[in-house]
Amino acid sequence: MADQVTGHDAGHVVGQGRYLYAISRGLDPLVLADVPGLGDGRLDVLEHRGLSAVVSDVDLEEYGEEGLRRNLERLEWLEEVARRHDEVVHAVAEHGPVAPLRLATICLDDIGVRRRIDEWHAALEQVLDRVEGRREWSVKAFAPRAAAAQPAESAAPAEGGAAYLRRKKAETLTRAQGEEQAMQVAEEVHARLSAVSEASRRLPPQDPRLTGHVGTMTLNGAYLVDAARGEEFAEAVRAAQADHPDAGIDAAGPWPPYSFAMLEQR
Amino acid sequence: MTSSVEQHPLGRPDTQQAGGQISLVDLLDRLLGTGVVLAGDVVISLAGVDLVQVRLHALITSVRDEMAEG
Repeated sequence: MADQVTGHDAGHVVGQGRYLYAISRGLDPLVLADVPGLGDGRLDVLEHRGLSAVVSDVDLEEYGEEGLRRNLERLEWLEEVARRHDEVVHAVAEHGPVAPLRLATICLDDIGVRRRIDEWHAALEQVLDRVEGRREWSVKAFAPRAAAAQPAESAAPAEGGAAYLRRKKAETLTRAQGEEQAMQVAEEVHARLSAVSEASRRLPPQDPRLTGHVGTMTLNGAYLVDAARGEEFAEAVRAAQADHPDAGIDAAGPWPPYSFAMLEQR
Repeated sequence: MTSSVEQHPLGRPDTQQAGGQISLVDLLDRLLGTGVVLAGDVVISLAGVDLVQVRLHALITSVRDEMAEG
């Protein structure tokens, strides 16, 4: 029984899988020598058809079907894996174009990794071409918090029912207008930043319970910015902040091009 | 993990960092979101055969629900 498994791939250790972090091109394995993989495992670079796959061994007890089901629901585990994955992707990004893989992409062995690369070869080449020499920036904007909800203390002391309803209606209308306006600001900011980016995407707004931000997130934008246009992009962010001081426009980056590494699925 | 929101905020209200660390919520947006894929969902590929597709979004939703209760 055991030789059925070992016969499949002589180098494969039973109970171990290959965790795939990122695909690059022409990556020198030496540059990753001091970068630890998950569980402090050694990073390997598999060269296949002109692409470099960055992998390390993981224990299938932890990263197999059952293990993942269990562990992905533990936030501490998820954070640790996501952070380590990110550190590896960052290290790769310093030395060449990088197509980061989704968290927890695991193959049984190197044969599985190569097969995966074969399957997606053309698309991976396209992604690497698209992101080479470019980094991702995140820019967020928020609706000014309850811009319309001014206290009604100033209302006449003996406000009649009709006056009350009129005031309530006016408040609701103002709030709706405020939201509408905040959405327009987000559209406008996104358009301006897209104009100085090679590509852009709007990600779903984040939940304030997760981020701790105040107000409604109106823009969760991702921008793929060419290295040569970094200052131009920063200038566009500053201009947007100056034009919309209430929108809480917040920029973070530069990061590896996570949001632009998607493969075209046909 | 009732107090995990306070102890482990996934992000900060002010994420204006000088090209440094990505906040966890931004990272998970990207590592689990629609963008970063080699296949449609997380795929555990055993001997080249995709045996399992873990629906991470569902899992994340459950993590969020759990945190919201805290």
